[in-house]
Amino acid sequence: MKLLKSFFSFSFPLAIMLLMFSIYLLVTKVVDNYKENIINDYAIVVIANTPLSTINTLAGITVKSIEPLSRTKIIKSVQQNLSDTSIELLQKKLPYFYKIYLAEFPTSLKLEKIRKELMTISNVKKIETFSNDHNKLYSLLILVQNIIFILFCAVLVLSILLLSKQIKIWFFEHKERISIIQLHGGSLLYSSIPIIKIIIASSIFSSLLSGAILILTISSIHLVVEPEIMVLIPDILRMEMEIFQIFILSLIIPFITFLGLLVKYKLK
Amino acid sequence: MILAKNLTLSYDNKKNIIEDANFMIKEKEFIFISGSSGSGKSTLLKSFYGELPVKKGNLFVNKHDLAKKDYSKLLSLRKELGIVFQDYKLIQEYTIEENIMLPLKIHKYAEDVSKAQVKKLLKHVKLSHKIGAYPEELSGGEQQRVAVARALAHNPSVILADEPTGNLDDYSSDMIWTLLKNANEHLGITVVIVTHRIPTNLGIKYRRFNIEEGVVYEAS
Repeated sequence: MKLLKSFFSFSFPLAIMLLMFSIYLLVTKVVDNYKENIINDYAIVVIANTPLSTINTLAGITVKSIEPLSRTKIIKSVQQNLSDTSIELLQKKLPYFYKIYLAEFPTSLKLEKIRKELMTISNVKKIETFSNDHNKLYSLLILVQNIIFILFCAVLVLSILLLSKQIKIWFFEHKERISIIQLHGGSLLYSSIPIIKIIIASSIFSSLLSGAILILTISSIHLVVEPEIMVLIPDILRMEMEIFQIFILSLIIPFITFLGLLVKYKLK
Repeated sequence: MILAKNLTLSYDNKKNIIEDANFMIKEKEFIFISGSSGSGKSTLLKSFYGELPVKKGNLFVNKHDLAKKDYSKLLSLRKELGIVFQDYKLIQEYTIEENIMLPLKIHKYAEDVSKAQVKKLLKHVKLSHKIGAYPEELSGGEQQRVAVARALAHNPSVILADEPTGNLDDYSSDMIWTLLKNANEHLGITVVIVTHRIPTNLGIKYRRFNIEEGVVYEAS
């Protein structure tokens, strides 16, 4: 009973931290999927007096492509109402239209920066960013992602404190055995093998628990999320990499905590 | 083998327990350290295996300089020693076999070699029938015999024993003295024993150091 209690005292904070991490991964995946979807449809329109030279990056974002809009098409769409002279004049005076495609969706701040950067190009007359449609939802998603990340960091710190407390208790419980092993020349690491075994067992249990909850959540996500949003996140069900990350984190965090304490005891 | 030069020991830099001690213990010697209660016998022994740091002076055990506080060197020194305590210090969660196997595991002996060595030692201390038992199932005398077997397991060059018969009846005490005597006579192990009760009929040549008010001197 005592062993079970100490096992759960270690596993639960770890599982809660892993669940928080899972939520963060889930939201990041949703945001990434959403970004990927909107970026394909999104372009900045630039109107310039002369042909635009090559632009590689804007506000640190790679420019995927710059597509010129056909001038003949624009003239054709308005030529019915114009005389030949006007069309000729229009052909001479009509500026160049470009669509700039970016590699990633910019935030409002970056968009403003892009606008400023484009305005520094002397022949640019007008810029249209069309950001309002996507920007609100995107900003909201980014906000949620950031809040969850902050929460994850807070839970991580709290978990490490709880884990280190439990490891200290285990060191205290095994104090006599550790001192006997050390009296025979065994290192602190060697004498801590029973503690390492409990840590490994607890970590695997926690990662299985949080992995199972994550799988359960994503397999039933369609019950709570609207179908049109599900269309935006088709990859949500493929979480193999995220589950692997959870497993790795479930081992890394307890071991870093354990090693930290080991160094502390060794220095003592 | 053990050399003390102007050795001074104290707990937490308080009053000196041992002051300015000078002595030498050679290889294969049988040594008793005696003195009244609280005279500093166990303190001196603790300093031999690095449990208590040297405050002043020098202390060499198997050429390891214990005045230098080096954790890894301390562990390697302890690997060369066999230690027997008054309260046995057996690991309660381990069987008798696992307890005796402990120094062999630390020395990374092969499993089959370790098991054979444990069997031999258990026969030697007349406890072969208790191989799978746990310490709590054994009497005090039996537990101390296991502790001696554990101290002998890895063929140490020195055995340090702190009041090994302090908690035992006469019959068990005699067995422990015989085991330690044999270790010295037949295996050539240096034996250093802290005791306030030196056996009268040991039948072995030994030297005795006495401690009085922090002063260590060789008694006749």
